[in-house]
Amino acid sequence: MARIYQVPSHTRLWLTLAVTFCALPQLLKGPLWQGGLFALVVAIRALVNRQRMALPGRIIRSLLLMGAVALTFYSFGRLYGPEAGVALLVSLFGLKYLEVVSQRDAYVLLVLGFFVCATSLLFSQSPLMFLYVLLCMVLLTACLAGINHSDTRASGMQHLKRAGIIMAQAVPLMLILFVLVPRVAPLWNMQVGNGKARTGMTDSMAPGQISELSESSALAFRVAFDGDMPPPAERYWRGLTLSHFDGRAWQQAIPRGMDEAGYLYSGRGPAPDWVDALTAGRSDGTSYAYQVIVEPTQRRWLFAMPVPFVSEGGVSLARDMRLVANNPVSQRQSYQVVSVPAATRRLPLAAEEKALMLSIPDESGRRARGLAQQWRLESQSDAAVVQQALRYFRQQPFHYTLRPPKLVADPIDDFLFRSRKGFCEHYASSFTFLMRAAGIPARVVVGYQGGEQNSLGSHLLVRQYDAHAWSEVWLEGQGWVRVDPTGAVAPERVERGLRAALEEGDSGDALGGIQLDGFAGSGLLGVMREWADYVDFRWQTWVLSYDSQLQLSVLSKLLGQVTPLRVAVTLMVSVALLLGLYGLYLFWRNPVHSQSPMEKEFWRLHQRVQGCGLALSPGVTPSQLAEAIAGRWPRAASPARDWARYYQRALYDPRQKASKQQMRHLRGLRNRLYKLLD
Amino acid sequence: MRLPQGPRRLYERWLARRLPAASQIVLDQKRIFIFPTGYGFFYLLVAALLFIGGINYENNLILALSFLMASLFLVAILHTFRNLSALGLRNGTAESGFSGEEGALEVVLFAEQRAHHCIWLRWPGQDAQQVSVLAGEEESLWLNLPLARRGKIPAPRLKVESRFPLGLLRTWSYATLDHYCLAWPRPQESEDCPADGGKNNQRAFSSGQSGNEEFQGLRRYVPGDSLRKIDWKGYARGRGLNTKLFEEPVGGRLWLRWDKLEGLGDEQRLSILCHWVLELDRQHQPYGLVLPGLTLAPDTGDVHRWRLLDALACYPEF
Amino acid sequence: MQALDKALAQVGRVVLGKEEQLKLALTCMLANGHLLIEDLPGMGKTTLAHALARVFQLDYRRVQFTSDMLPADILGVSVFDPNTQQFSLREGPVFTQLLLADEINRATPKTQSALLEAMEERQVTLDGVTRPLPAPFFVVATQNPVDQAGTFVLPESQLDRFLMRISLGYPAPDVELELLAGGDLRQQVRELKAVINGEGLMKLAQVVGKIRVTRELLDYVQRLLDATRSDDRFVAGLSPRAGLGLLRAARAWALITGRDYVLPEDVQAVWASVAEHRLSARQGGSVAAISQSLLQSVPVVRR
Repeated sequence: MARIYQVPSHTRLWLTLAVTFCALPQLLKGPLWQGGLFALVVAIRALVNRQRMALPGRIIRSLLLMGAVALTFYSFGRLYGPEAGVALLVSLFGLKYLEVVSQRDAYVLLVLGFFVCATSLLFSQSPLMFLYVLLCMVLLTACLAGINHSDTRASGMQHLKRAGIIMAQAVPLMLILFVLVPRVAPLWNMQVGNGKARTGMTDSMAPGQISELSESSALAFRVAFDGDMPPPAERYWRGLTLSHFDGRAWQQAIPRGMDEAGYLYSGRGPAPDWVDALTAGRSDGTSYAYQVIVEPTQRRWLFAMPVPFVSEGGVSLARDMRLVANNPVSQRQSYQVVSVPAATRRLPLAAEEKALMLSIPDESGRRARGLAQQWRLESQSDAAVVQQALRYFRQQPFHYTLRPPKLVADPIDDFLFRSRKGFCEHYASSFTFLMRAAGIPARVVVGYQGGEQNSLGSHLLVRQYDAHAWSEVWLEGQGWVRVDPTGAVAPERVERGLRAALEEGDSGDALGGIQLDGFAGSGLLGVMREWADYVDFRWQTWVLSYDSQLQLSVLSKLLGQVTPLRVAVTLMVSVALLLGLYGLYLFWRNPVHSQSPMEKEFWRLHQRVQGCGLALSPGVTPSQLAEAIAGRWPRAASPARDWARYYQRALYDPRQKASKQQMRHLRGLRNRLYKLLD
Repeated sequence: MRLPQGPRRLYERWLARRLPAASQIVLDQKRIFIFPTGYGFFYLLVAALLFIGGINYENNLILALSFLMASLFLVAILHTFRNLSALGLRNGTAESGFSGEEGALEVVLFAEQRAHHCIWLRWPGQDAQQVSVLAGEEESLWLNLPLARRGKIPAPRLKVESRFPLGLLRTWSYATLDHYCLAWPRPQESEDCPADGGKNNQRAFSSGQSGNEEFQGLRRYVPGDSLRKIDWKGYARGRGLNTKLFEEPVGGRLWLRWDKLEGLGDEQRLSILCHWVLELDRQHQPYGLVLPGLTLAPDTGDVHRWRLLDALACYPEF
Repeated sequence: MQALDKALAQVGRVVLGKEEQLKLALTCMLANGHLLIEDLPGMGKTTLAHALARVFQLDYRRVQFTSDMLPADILGVSVFDPNTQQFSLREGPVFTQLLLADEINRATPKTQSALLEAMEERQVTLDGVTRPLPAPFFVVATQNPVDQAGTFVLPESQLDRFLMRISLGYPAPDVELELLAGGDLRQQVRELKAVINGEGLMKLAQVVGKIRVTRELLDYVQRLLDATRSDDRFVAGLSPRAGLGLLRAARAWALITGRDYVLPEDVQAVWASVAEHRLSARQGGSVAAISQSLLQSVPVVRR
């Protein structure tokens, strides 16, 4: 079949735009030379399209290809792997564009374009990126429409309009497929990190570390509650427990004699006794169910309130009542948690664990030890010692500030007895030290405290500046009890968050020019931020974390019982219904040939008369129509003739402009006529 | 795709029954077939690859992209189908020719409801022609038709095809218009004109009767001759009064007759008649035609010639 | 307007019972077109032409066409005068205002085409000298139906030169009775009173050009023309010239009816006489039947 195989000229613009838009995310992210390569390709194409030069020959194209491969290897050190692979794909995409002549070339190019769009989503999954990819899809579709439109008189805008219409119809269908098509487990595991080091918590705590974090308003994670929210003072998001103190810094540690396997429980295999003990307390007192969507940290730990229970795979429970992901969190990840605070008392304290929780280095904090011994002697119980310590913090002139003076020599004694100006980490560190010195098992917990509430989504937004450190002490009969010495010094820090704590009282200087972003930014900006966060949050909860589990719960809400048959039938029926709807819209539209109101007027009467059983030929004139009516219904004769006379004048006498008034009059005549028929 | 003989014939017969010939055809669901093109399958493969990628990377957006591609495909089915649906075809005029040569048929495409873009029309064994019809308009295409034999050559089945708008699907239909091209007999020269008034071995139109059509010569003026027949120019040059003589053509009474060719085969008779129709037309001679069952009165002109040739082509069913 | 009615009444006195045809003939004259009357001999064709000439005070000549007629017999001839030693033109009968070409199909094609060319160009060229014909200039040609022996049917290309073709047909019985009872027709024609003169007629023809048409009406005319072209029962459709003629005739009809704008009825009224002689049906179909069916099927008001 002799077809025109050339890419028509009215499509060239769309090809250029589609190629540029598809490649842009990679070009912005990738090495500089790639941008240069693309600029070169687009420039050559522009010249070729204007017939200023011939298409580069095979040799030049091969050289460019080899150059691109070599540069990719130079930039990434390899040709495989996500980054290098995508860079190579995009380079190939550009080079393919260079040689597009025929329709077939363009087809190949467009398929590459779909792949390039998909790779953009590999690295960013924001709603904006998805919208951008939709835009690229519209452009690619416009190209498809263009290369299949071989009329030379076609205009470019036509293609874009057509592509827009088709896309607009495809998107609802996509939503149906998205919701209903069953999610399959990965065939093999692939993870793509986006290679960006994030600010966030580290796995040790040295003085000054958290205060650094508090300068960032970056998002740490979001929490959406299923039911009641705990009061602000209860919102402690545990991340790490630090049990080993070397005199300066606190670090994670596993008690001597315990191995990682016994310390972490992934949900598979027989549960260790401590897990059984915790699980037994699952129905103790209040519980909170919530979903956490954590930003990438490149670390394995996750955040939750105590005692967290999870049901999904990929997350383990550690003996220190925190959650650990099986793989580092390299992309946004969400998990469902049920926290039961009261279950903590069920957890036994093993001997080797107790030893770790009491260990303090010999040479540090000599004065503090003395103080602790004194409290021990004065008090009846461990709980009383804790109260003594908190009283001490409250009564002595301790000061909460983001810019504490540097601690020299011994950080514990120096802080407790000399500077007395510090941040949560200082209080947590020294308090834990004091407890251990007094013989009470204690540890430092770092994580986040508080969080801002989004009034739209009623979810909590926890930012980096909500990072916090506090202590836990082990009390007989109560298990691990949270004690926040910072709360003793600056209660508003716990009640209302860091901002409130810093804005109030004497700590004005402590802000020190740090800009704290948040919803609290008043007015329109604040509202917009709230909205942006809400969209992002919903995107996360509804779209990105729509996995097989969530799908199951959505489907069971929709269908009641979820069986493969039901899902299949629902899928088919809803797709067929939507397509049917489109079909009605596409096929049942009036002929484009539009009638004027006057012409409609005639055919209405014509139809009506025929409907009353009088056969009329289409070639009947208005007055012949009237005569036909008069012949059949003699009493309608005079209005029919009136109508015809009036109609004729209106349509055929050029001096009578068919006005609205005339139309009304005609319609009136016709209606009167109707009553006299049949 | 070529089917073996047997099934092919069955298929043809099924098609002929399903799509009967008519002088005007509007393509509807019953007549339209649709199937993905090679590229359409490729496209679906890409969507499937993206689906697997989305699953493996646990990336819901890539999944969504693959669903979007699939949805585009589904929507494209409707749009591709729509591009052919409601397209009307009807008989246009026909250009007859002599058998052994080529005739041409005009097919008029009309779009009553919507525009139809990039429609390909093809007859078996011919290059496809592309045409677009805007809403409410008409386009006509001429398709050549080899005329193998004399008579009414019916239009072969026409394949109407389109891949518009996305090229992912191909939709096609067969239209059999009850259109035909007349193949006139191939002219066969013969010395004798099979006409009334023509004698054997004599040119049909030199009847020898005196009349006023063809100038024959001059003779001396005899009183009573029409003044208008006098050769005034010769008189001015001093040649005396002469009267111009004209020869009367057999003219109005020249009838080409089928009966005059007895003993010859039908086709040969028609071929000879055809030759004489052309010959007499070339000489601007009025002529008529008598065939068994049809008599056409003498006349001249193109339309007359065509009418006679058509009659020869149609013989014996007029 | 009154003049036209009077003219109709006058001619109606001698051509009895043929109001419709009279009106069409008058329409043809107002539209400045030539008229072809096709009928058997003795149906009153000559009377009609003569009467029209009388009523409009036109120079009238009648030529009976025969097979031995030469073009010069119609157009005229240059005659050499030995006394003056010069050629002088002897004008033929065509130099008149209303020429009745009786039985035009008896003449040879050559003679026919000489007349038809003169009709078309409204001038005659003899020996290199071009002479205009008088104005107004009408030809009323009569033709015997096709199957008469010894005739040359007008070629279809020539038929296009006649704006309209009508046929009178046999009179109705009561009319015939009146006809038989009446006196000498020729005498009666001679007694007809002139209603208007040639100049008046030309002015009226100018008025015809000013009869209004709307877009919708033009659209209807166009659809009719188109229908003839796309109907494969016809050998060929109507030419654009035929379309212009149709519109002109419809305007003249509207004027005669006493309206200054054209209605679809006007188009339909002149349709048969303007269109049918220019069309030929394929393989023995009836042109009249097909053209009437088109009138039925083409929507007057756009659908």
